[in-house]
Amino acid sequence: MELFVTGYGAISCIGNNVQEILHALKSEKTGIQKGKQAHSEKYLVGEVLLSNEELMRKFALKTTGSRTGILGAIAAKEAFQGHKLDASIRTAVISGTSVGGMDVSEKEYRNHIDNVPQNLHNYAHHSSGNSSEQIAEELGITGFINTISTACSSAANAIMMGARMIQQGKIDRAIVGGTDGLSAFTINGFKSLMIFDEEWCRPFDESRKGLNLGEGAGFIVLESKESMQKSGSNSIARLRGWSNASDAYHQTASSPEGHGATLSMKEALTIAGMKANEIDYINAHGTATPNNDLSESQAIINVFGNNIPPFSSTKAYTGHTLAASGGIEAVIAILAIQNGCLFPNLNHRNVIEETKLEPIKSLKEGAEINAVLSNSFGFGGNNSTIIISK
Amino acid sequence: MVFVQALSSISHQNSFQKDSIWTELTTLEANSECESPDYKQYIPANALRRLSPVLRMALAAAQDCQSKVDGEFDAISVGTALGCLKDTEKFLTTFLTTNADTLSPTAFIQSTHNTIGGQISLALGNHAYNMTHTQNSVSFEVALIDALLCAKDGKSNVLVGAADEAIDFLEGLRGEIIQSDRQFTSGASFFVLGPQEKSVKVIDCDIEYGTQSIHQSIDQFLAKNNASINQIDLVLFAENIDLNAKKSLNYQDYTGLYYSSSAFAFHIGHDFLKSTNSSKVFIVNNQSDKRLGLTLIEKHEA
Repeated sequence: MELFVTGYGAISCIGNNVQEILHALKSEKTGIQKGKQAHSEKYLVGEVLLSNEELMRKFALKTTGSRTGILGAIAAKEAFQGHKLDASIRTAVISGTSVGGMDVSEKEYRNHIDNVPQNLHNYAHHSSGNSSEQIAEELGITGFINTISTACSSAANAIMMGARMIQQGKIDRAIVGGTDGLSAFTINGFKSLMIFDEEWCRPFDESRKGLNLGEGAGFIVLESKESMQKSGSNSIARLRGWSNASDAYHQTASSPEGHGATLSMKEALTIAGMKANEIDYINAHGTATPNNDLSESQAIINVFGNNIPPFSSTKAYTGHTLAASGGIEAVIAILAIQNGCLFPNLNHRNVIEETKLEPIKSLKEGAEINAVLSNSFGFGGNNSTIIISK
Repeated sequence: MVFVQALSSISHQNSFQKDSIWTELTTLEANSECESPDYKQYIPANALRRLSPVLRMALAAAQDCQSKVDGEFDAISVGTALGCLKDTEKFLTTFLTTNADTLSPTAFIQSTHNTIGGQISLALGNHAYNMTHTQNSVSFEVALIDALLCAKDGKSNVLVGAADEAIDFLEGLRGEIIQSDRQFTSGASFFVLGPQEKSVKVIDCDIEYGTQSIHQSIDQFLAKNNASINQIDLVLFAENIDLNAKKSLNYQDYTGLYYSSSAFAFHIGHDFLKSTNSSKVFIVNNQSDKRLGLTLIEKHEA
């Protein structure tokens, strides 16, 4: 069964909507800068520079909750704009998040530790599942609401879950993607792992030292042909392949040979019924940690051999938006196809010694891009790949 | 058709490695404790020390399932409502009270929801599809729906389950955002689904957010599966509901309060079908009034 993308929406430090993000990508302009919040001011981060209240107002949101839920609602609303609710089109919301409402809980928990009165109702936003329900409430959708939480591959897995649900006739249409608000919890967590770069991150560069965190959300609308006929939506792209595989190597590190990543890319190509040489662009996971980029490079070599398509990581623009990254990057994949643009891997100077793969170094326009492969890898060796085509 | 190939639960009941828990169920008494097996049989001692209860329970139950079936799992689908609460609280407390430059990453690493599924894949050296679903009180059901998709996609050895753990902090939320007066408990229940004929088959599972009329949703679900409520031998429910079934039980009397406890209800239902001359069990997870999980399982006569 063919699966069509009929809407997309995103918010990140490089733009509050898809058009702003496209403009930033074409301008080769990063959104990563010194943090503006108490928990982020010591770091270079990709923050959305509006408070929750400002976001609620600017995007006329009806529902409140966690920052994760607010960012998700904004991107999902953009993706769903122009679509109508219709009782005969069973519509699901499937969203990925890593920490859900932690941004609210951690503030309240500070009061708990300091032994000052707490507003316990704030913990009602904590559960990751609530961020997806917040998005569904915003869109007025009931029924199948689901949250995937596989760390940094969550959004890609949510896209995959939606695709499989539609294929098996459980639903007709799905708003799928992911969202994560920046929290002190994740900033301190990645700090404790010692994988921050104090400078701008440099994916696939020999001198890379680690990642810059980011926040945001990215969603797409998936529909079957039957659903499109009913909804009258237009297709902007097709979702062709998907896969998830386990690296089973280490809880946080990727295997040096990129076993899980190789499996997920190969399986996604098989499901798409495509050959490796039909991929015109790879939007890599490319977090800029020494471990990920080497492992992913090796996996790309395993799958593509000597014919490696142009590739880049766009995380030097957005920062690593964790569970949202697969959603934001699915939107970027569609922008690449629609605009014939190969977006550069910012800050790259020297290839990684072991693998010598050279990413796209500057914007290329006028490219014929039919198919894009997008990788998202998470803690726990959770490796996911999706393939989007014209 | 999808059959239950194997199952394993660690709970506040004496449920681990029991042939049938149906005849042994007892309603929980005050301050009951989780009946933990000897984890050293499943987890190396050095690893065991740093694993929280939810990870221990899930790892032992998943490995117990693996030992009961031939061949590696070709998909793993885990549900958890609140994830690794103990490590989450530990990391929160640590970074809020100590210098950020000296933080140990262990609690952070083990705080993400998919540590459960990730640790299972690591322990088993399993490279298959590995998914983690979290959807409040219907977290087990979404994991089960994914597992059924996997089975229909041709996977033949699908591990599905759910796990959650209690922490003391939850007690402080009682009467505020948690209204139940049941004891907070922990539990992990895992199942292997596949096409090989066994005594219990999984017919269907659905979830619904924003339920308007629970009776209407139940009628639609049963009608879709060519069943009606008067054919159901046992209804397992979470909160009182007036259904005209032959027999009904509140499964929370046996599980206590955790938000993926419908996985244990699935285990109860399975063993009921296996141990009695009955044909249909219907699990109505109405633990929350906003979310509904419906699961139908049936006895398979060879």
